[in-house]
Amino acid sequence: MIYLLQEELSKKVMDVNDIASYLPIGIQIVCAAGLVAFLMLVTHLLGPKRKTADKLQSFTSGIESHGDARQPVAIKYFLVAILFVLFDVEVIFFYPYAVNFKGLGWSGFWAVLLFVGFFLCGFIYIIKKGALKWEE
Amino acid sequence: MISLTGLNLILPQLIIALAAIIVMLSIAVKRCHRFTNLFTLLSFAAAAISVLYIPRGSFGVSSLFVVDGFGKFFTVLIACAGFVITLMSYHYLNAREKRNEEYYILLLLSSLGALTMVISNHFVSFFLSLEVLSVSLYALIGYLKEEPAGIESGIKYLVLAAVSSSFLLFGIALIYMQTGHLDLSGIAAGLSSSGEFSGVFIAGLAMVIVGIGFKMALVPFHLWTPDIYAGASAPVSAFVATVSKGAVFAFLLRLFYSTGGLENKNVWTVFTIIAVASMLFGNWLALRQQNIKRLLAYSSIGHLGYLMVAFLAITDRGMQAATFYLVVYFTGMLAAFGTVIYMSNKKGEALYIDDYRGLFWKKPWLAAIFTTVMLSLAGIPLTAGFLGKLYLLTAGTEVGIWLLVIVLVVSSGIGLFYYLRVVAVMFAGKNENEASSEPVIGKIFPHGLVLTLLFLLLLWFGVYPSSLLEIIQQIASVIR
Repeated sequence: MIYLLQEELSKKVMDVNDIASYLPIGIQIVCAAGLVAFLMLVTHLLGPKRKTADKLQSFTSGIESHGDARQPVAIKYFLVAILFVLFDVEVIFFYPYAVNFKGLGWSGFWAVLLFVGFFLCGFIYIIKKGALKWEE
Repeated sequence: MISLTGLNLILPQLIIALAAIIVMLSIAVKRCHRFTNLFTLLSFAAAAISVLYIPRGSFGVSSLFVVDGFGKFFTVLIACAGFVITLMSYHYLNAREKRNEEYYILLLLSSLGALTMVISNHFVSFFLSLEVLSVSLYALIGYLKEEPAGIESGIKYLVLAAVSSSFLLFGIALIYMQTGHLDLSGIAAGLSSSGEFSGVFIAGLAMVIVGIGFKMALVPFHLWTPDIYAGASAPVSAFVATVSKGAVFAFLLRLFYSTGGLENKNVWTVFTIIAVASMLFGNWLALRQQNIKRLLAYSSIGHLGYLMVAFLAITDRGMQAATFYLVVYFTGMLAAFGTVIYMSNKKGEALYIDDYRGLFWKKPWLAAIFTTVMLSLAGIPLTAGFLGKLYLLTAGTEVGIWLLVIVLVVSSGIGLFYYLRVVAVMFAGKNENEASSEPVIGKIFPHGLVLTLLFLLLLWFGVYPSSLLEIIQQIASVIR
């Protein structure tokens, strides 16, 4: 695997695909699964077992649990969450653009402007639809 | 980056994308169903007409798209289907839903996905357009808020389509790992240099087949189809049956013909099994359906199986037959769902075959149209369906894929039963239990007009197919 870092990539692309190069990944998988299995087995064998009624109840930071978790939640929360995701993704696109700001030049600028423009259209729509009105 | 000079090549796609945004902004300003519908119609028409302004020949737009005769043909086909579905949606939505402007945004967006898919020449553009297509479909399928069945089928489609997309994505990754390319020509080059297909590549191809097979509802991956067709509103079912399946089929042709993936015996065998199973199961399961939309769903599974026969011939003629049959299938399915929409009323759709009992005595013209559609889907002479099937059979016999040809004939025979059952019900005595006194949605304009046009098209292609065939012959050899 180390030659990947040292030599030019193009030559070695086909070499990477043989089975031997997956050995490290295989070892990793075996280790990960083995560790989980080992820990579960050891706790099962070594740990004491006291099954009382209190212990089998669900534990919520010491407060007695009450009610059902499946209550309807106002749709506004979902809208805000979705909007957050949208703007988050927008920032993800901004970041690489900011890094390459000079290299991309004017064509990059227009492309990003177009992207933001489309985005704003969606934002106008969602505001007009009253997604951010919390009073009603 | 795409230079500005290449933009005229993707004019139809740009028009539809812009139209979606304009519709969205217009809703923000003022809601008006009539305007939104008209604007959507105009933009579909503009997209279809703008194809005329694309110069002849095959052009690459960056490495993602290739605009050639084949892509242009399917662009027009999809834009026309979008046009027809928009026309048929107007009265339907007016009757059944209060807020219906957003429907058109979603319709435009999913059409955009289909339009970019048919010119895709790269796995990235294919996957992106597939997602654009299906994400808007999730919402479209569950669009009617008052309809629990619609929402249920929307969620079903969401879960299943997401799973199939992940299969597809993993398959693409494996193919990339083997060949080092994501564009189809690069994959073809990588394959021809290595000669044998490796295990990784076969695994990747198998996963891609799962993803594509799901979208086209071929048999091991078909279970979603009847539920989604029955639950979604009829115009959306028509969209899923035609545009969504047709676009994926177009990419399937491009993918396997341009990379030569079908040259491999194993891949060919897998597709043969899928095709045989689709033809038999689709027609067989349709036999006992009482729900007309489920019947059409199973019938569409069968039809996609027929299309695979031409696909597996791997000849120019096979490709022409497949393209011709797809046009016929589009026309037939749109007219069939159009009739269902026509017969629906405010309370619900005319779902059951019994709803059509004695239709001939009440609405003879509509019954004549529906009869022709059913006969065309069954493949009776003088309708387009017969000629389509004839071309499929010719393409199959030419290269001697006898198993597929025989199954096609047998399953068409099975199919005849349920198509004729619908026809027989329409000509049977009058409906005794006139339960619903609600007036039907269909109006002479635009609904009856569209249905009549589709009906005439079916007859036109059936009697005088050479006009369409000439166009298809020009485009079909380009893809190689």
